[in-house]
Amino acid sequence: MAEAHAPDATHDDHDHKPHGWRRWVFATNHKDIGTMYLIFACTMFFIGGAMAMVIRLELFKPGMQFVDPQLFNSMTTMHALVMIFGAVMPAWTGLANWMIPMQVGAPDMALPRLNNFSFWILPFAFTLLLSSLFVPGGAPAGGWTMYPPLVLQNGASFPMLIFAVHMMGASSILGAINVVVTIMNMRAPGLTLLRMPLFVWTWLITAYLLIAVMPVLAGAVTMLLTDHFFGTTFFTAAGGGDPVMFQHIFWFFGHPEVYILILPAFGIVSEIIPTFSRKPLFGYEAMVYAVASIAFLSFIVWAHHMFTVGMPLAAQLFFMLSTMLIAVPTGVKVFNWTATMWKGSLSFEPPMLFALAFLFLFTIGGFSGLMLAIVPADYQYQDTYFVVAHFHYVLVPGAIFGIMAGVYYWLPKWVGKMYDQKLATWHFWLSTIFVNVLFFPQHFLGLAGMPRRIPDYAVQFTDWNMVSSIGGFGFGLAQLLFPYIIWKCVRSGAPVGAKAWEGAHGLEWELPSPAPYHSWTEPPSDAVIARGAEH
Amino acid sequence: MSALPAIAADNSRRRRVRNSAILWALIAAGFYVGFIVLTLVRAAR
Repeated sequence: MAEAHAPDATHDDHDHKPHGWRRWVFATNHKDIGTMYLIFACTMFFIGGAMAMVIRLELFKPGMQFVDPQLFNSMTTMHALVMIFGAVMPAWTGLANWMIPMQVGAPDMALPRLNNFSFWILPFAFTLLLSSLFVPGGAPAGGWTMYPPLVLQNGASFPMLIFAVHMMGASSILGAINVVVTIMNMRAPGLTLLRMPLFVWTWLITAYLLIAVMPVLAGAVTMLLTDHFFGTTFFTAAGGGDPVMFQHIFWFFGHPEVYILILPAFGIVSEIIPTFSRKPLFGYEAMVYAVASIAFLSFIVWAHHMFTVGMPLAAQLFFMLSTMLIAVPTGVKVFNWTATMWKGSLSFEPPMLFALAFLFLFTIGGFSGLMLAIVPADYQYQDTYFVVAHFHYVLVPGAIFGIMAGVYYWLPKWVGKMYDQKLATWHFWLSTIFVNVLFFPQHFLGLAGMPRRIPDYAVQFTDWNMVSSIGGFGFGLAQLLFPYIIWKCVRSGAPVGAKAWEGAHGLEWELPSPAPYHSWTEPPSDAVIARGAEH
Repeated sequence: MSALPAIAADNSRRRRVRNSAILWALIAAGFYVGFIVLTLVRAAR
């Protein structure tokens, strides 16, 4: 019976706490990997933000001031790629790494070495992508959508872009497989699917979306690569290919991608609002079904991004109506969040402030999305600043505020200390005011006919561009508070107990603060699960 | 002796983890190949 030993003794070498650089390079601990993802995302957020500052600086007034058109187009392209694949997606994966094992009662993620590999692909992918700024011909400049034939005209940066996108895709797919396998196999006994926290649910559905659509993007860019270098004509009309086919394939990935960026924010808001309303979430099951419905619908709306390429009337009607249908489950969610607050004992700590701003401002982005879904109206709005305003309302006060709400909510659990809430409230108000100054005038510019992705514009657009740029600079500066608040908290925050927020429920709040290196070395008891899974 | 059921449960979970990871990787690979084949088929028409 020499080989009969307890499971802990067979545990791989990730159950000790290594020190120095080895702890990070060879990390297999979900918290260490989560931390690396979050630091990486924060770095990319500031790099992508610097590119946005270049864009807003150039657009401050008409005429060419600071950059040439080629570099301007590179900035818009790279800003999008860096923010989507480098900032928002890794931030969600970081939060998933930190929280999912704690919330499902597991010691770690199911596949710790794969987890390490998923993360370490990213710095290489973004080093490659960002270094394309310095090659002959400059960085990719044809837009993050990589439409052929324009993208095929890129210089030396083209293969760098394709390889970087492949690596980002591989990282996301491996991360998503890890999330699905962890949630489906590592839940504590008794924690049934419909007792899981909403953040876990939304991440499970996000992971399914990732597994379905990231390979589609990989397939599309592989075909671009062979068109460019190996003489195929998948998307080249001269050889019998179809450039519009690329748009269909890209948006089959691209629309679910929008939900990949936003669904985990739905989960976080669904955790925060009950905590600071001191009430259970209104309609827990309806929320789960609403998220699943949104995810399903995201697969059948893609062509609303390309109404103006020309398609049969029946197709236009189908994609218009299926897009509008998304308003139904989204409305259910907004109603349930509002109903959760109804007659609650509300308090307005920083996570709640960000969650409330999310609720109001994401809804504005949702409404402008409905306007864009209407085919004849979309013919007017296509490629104008109205579209830019719409998706930035969804992604900045939507996804980014969701991430900030999550960090402010769980930071005390991670480090065992409370951050400076007054400074975080300043961060909130500055962000919320400036984000509206930045993006709301872009609706007016778009409706007045200002096209997107241009470095110069007609003089009648000057005033609102100046306002928008001032908002951009203010928003950018306000974000510097965020890493400072976190650094200050880690250095000198006041200690907190296991339950940093007195209204919080969930298994993560049953662990001490800071959470132990291995989350649940013993599965939580039925009583703990029952207490934590109160919805 | 009491550790044996725990080992069996652990092994069973390891098997489930490995099998479901392989399943989802195959599904992802299927989407990758499937969309390239779809484009080829459409172009051949």
